[in-house]
Amino acid sequence: MSAGGGALAGSLRLGAGIGQRAGSAVRGWPLAVRIAAGVLAVLVVGALAADVIAPLDDRAVDLDNILAAPSWSHLLGTDEVGRDLLARVLHGIQISLMIAVSAALTAALAGTLVGIVAGTMGGKVDAVVMRVTDVFASQNHFLFGILLVVLFRPVLGGAGAIMLSVGLTHWPSLARIVRGELMSLRERPFVAAAIGGGAGRLRLARRHYLPHLLPAVGLAFVLTVPHAIFHESALSFLGLGLEPHRASLGNILADGQRSLLAGGWWIALFPGLAILLASMTIGTLAESWRERLHPRWRSELEL
Amino acid sequence: MTALLEVKDLSVGFRTRRGVVQALSQASVSVEQGELLLVVGESGSGKTVLAHSLLRLLPRNVDVSGSIRLGGEDVLALQPDALRRVRGRRMALIPQSPASSLNPVRRLGGQLLEAARARGLTEAQSRKRLRELLGELGLDLDSISGRYIHQLSGGMQQRVVNAMALVGEPDIVIADEPTSGLDSDLVDATAAQLREISARGASLLVITHDLRLAERLGGRLALLYASRIVEVGPAAAFFQSPSHPYGRELLRALPEREGKSIPGMSPELTALPGHCAFADRCPDRFEPCTESVPDLYPVRDGVHARCFAHAER
Amino acid sequence: MLSADAVTKTYRAAAGRVVAVDGASLIVQPGTRVGLVGPSGSGKSTLAQIMAMLLEPDSGSVTIDGDRVEKWGLRSLRAMRHRVQLIFQAPRVSVDPRLRVGDAILEPLAASGMLPAGADERRALLQSWAARVGLTNDLLERFPHEVSEGQLQRACLARALVVCPRYLICDELSSMLDVSTQAALLEAIAAVQDEHGLGLLLITHDRVLADAWCGEIADIRELSRCEAVDPAVCFSDDGGFRAQRALERLDAA
Repeated sequence: MSAGGGALAGSLRLGAGIGQRAGSAVRGWPLAVRIAAGVLAVLVVGALAADVIAPLDDRAVDLDNILAAPSWSHLLGTDEVGRDLLARVLHGIQISLMIAVSAALTAALAGTLVGIVAGTMGGKVDAVVMRVTDVFASQNHFLFGILLVVLFRPVLGGAGAIMLSVGLTHWPSLARIVRGELMSLRERPFVAAAIGGGAGRLRLARRHYLPHLLPAVGLAFVLTVPHAIFHESALSFLGLGLEPHRASLGNILADGQRSLLAGGWWIALFPGLAILLASMTIGTLAESWRERLHPRWRSELEL
Repeated sequence: MTALLEVKDLSVGFRTRRGVVQALSQASVSVEQGELLLVVGESGSGKTVLAHSLLRLLPRNVDVSGSIRLGGEDVLALQPDALRRVRGRRMALIPQSPASSLNPVRRLGGQLLEAARARGLTEAQSRKRLRELLGELGLDLDSISGRYIHQLSGGMQQRVVNAMALVGEPDIVIADEPTSGLDSDLVDATAAQLREISARGASLLVITHDLRLAERLGGRLALLYASRIVEVGPAAAFFQSPSHPYGRELLRALPEREGKSIPGMSPELTALPGHCAFADRCPDRFEPCTESVPDLYPVRDGVHARCFAHAER
Repeated sequence: MLSADAVTKTYRAAAGRVVAVDGASLIVQPGTRVGLVGPSGSGKSTLAQIMAMLLEPDSGSVTIDGDRVEKWGLRSLRAMRHRVQLIFQAPRVSVDPRLRVGDAILEPLAASGMLPAGADERRALLQSWAARVGLTNDLLERFPHEVSEGQLQRACLARALVVCPRYLICDELSSMLDVSTQAALLEAIAAVQDEHGLGLLLITHDRVLADAWCGEIADIRELSRCEAVDPAVCFSDDGGFRAQRALERLDAA
């Protein structure tokens, strides 16, 4: 009992400490950003604690309670086979976020790699690589994405196919950003000074290029996550994404579409709301980060 | 006769995260009709801020006190409409680096016309005035109208920018660092161009850290150090025999004189001492220098210096 | 001695091929001060970068203390790089904005594996060089955007001197700086020169400075057979030197 109490007290203090530091950091943020952070925090905590708050058991069908509207026993209502919607949505958020983050990471890594190759090698290699990039960039994300998923689902499974689909449609913009940054960096005299001082390619990359690239890459990665959420949700909604037993928000939304005609508005609303909130909050936070990195020029010519 | 421009106790501070950067402290200077005034100092001394304050071209995070009277009216108190009538028409600025002061993707004809119209001229009047003005400056309106700014040589760019400043026939022209980015052998040409502008009757205020340009221009000189005016007087008197120790040391640093540097560095503008800002580096420092800030004491004909060494007289 | 022999370099610009340096030869002996003068755009910086092994010439050779330079830029021999150091005109783009001033000064040693092992030794080394160029210790902790141009250029000088070069090339060292900072930088260089017999190439458009300070003066217009190129010409849609002639005629009219 006392050992457990000690551990509890310790973790509470740790939590309080983190909370305090986060609190003081947040105080400087504008209201919109704070709201976005708050909502996102709720979504993330909900997703992480899904198993604790509302354990999901796909077989827990309750045929007496089909299509029940939101009530105190089922906060978000039930679906067409009586499963608690809150549990489904929370798990859905968990899965959607995980897939979206992995997919965005794939796109970021691919884009960065291509950008580095093009930016550092220059010349013909750069020309060829950038034309290939243009080809990928000119594809309609959605149609191309569907094609990729259809082709690779049998091979990679639902999740893998989605990651590939997002990755191959979203890497071009990052590649261009990285290449652009690298090319402008290479021109600056401080790179020449570093070479004169004895730096080789590796040192230049590690000490000078990477620290400059990381903020841009990190930001692009975060901004890709909402796109990935949308992309995956759309594909799952069409039945091309994840298999239904690993329901993401898109899958639930698809079910919701069918139930709308039967009057079950909540099954469509809540997953849709979750998708919207997740995308908007991440987007807002990323935009405010971008503002801090590259503040827009404000015309302040007045007394 | 009251001066055309009277700056009195002008103080400008920028509110930044690191504290208040006191760019200008109680600067007082006057410019007569048709006079040439040089405002000289190192970067960070406050000279650019002084020039920008005259046209109220300051960002929002500033604290300003004092007055700037142009023909009796306080520029600092003007409403936006009235201010717009002053800018360009009564006081005009020739900015640094002509190439970067103009829109690189618009042809010059359009930009020149826009500048003239903004000064209140009609379309026809603008064309006529521009043609005359550019002609006097050695340019042909028709041949440059279709060009972009980067298609002109450096000398021509400068003349375009001069024309834009003069099109409203201002009473005062402010030239901001006219030799920045130019080779030293162009200093004479620049000085000649500026004297031409001055000869048209307008008062000319030249902001510069280029001592050679200042020496060639002549007129009156105000020397700034760490946000304060430390010496005022005829330029010729300054170059022959500066009264303030900083002025003396500054001239000694010229390679054609002794090339001797001034030990130490200028104080941070966020932490100005409550005494003479040059005291730490001054070879003639004595007791009162580290106690309080000296006033501008008269030294000789028309020369004032902010130094306790001249306090007795 | 540091010598350039019949060096030629051509660039490809929007308006066609621009010859930046044409057959230039220049010698800098240890312990001497050579001034290279001429107007902007006449190839002085290009020649400087070639002599510092940063740029490969199209023809001609560069020899440093008897060793001919075979490889350039990133491929150049590390051992040779420290023999010649180059200081650039604009200090703000000559330092990595993400490094603190102190770290930037020691960076060449770190890149070459020559940094002293102990933190105390490192600090002592850094502070001794900072003192020689007139930087106070508190400035070493700051980032480039928190110090003035003059202070940054002093840091660049310290960075160049920290590897104990045999030759120092200053490309418009103080054109953007005030007179007193210029004097301070030159005094620091002179002191190092007296102690270590540094050979100095001072590139400047300021003829008065060169006359006052250098033992020997070379004019780029005499060394290199090409004409000064106004950067405006390279971007003009008229193309090449024809445009420059036309502009000069307009200018003179």
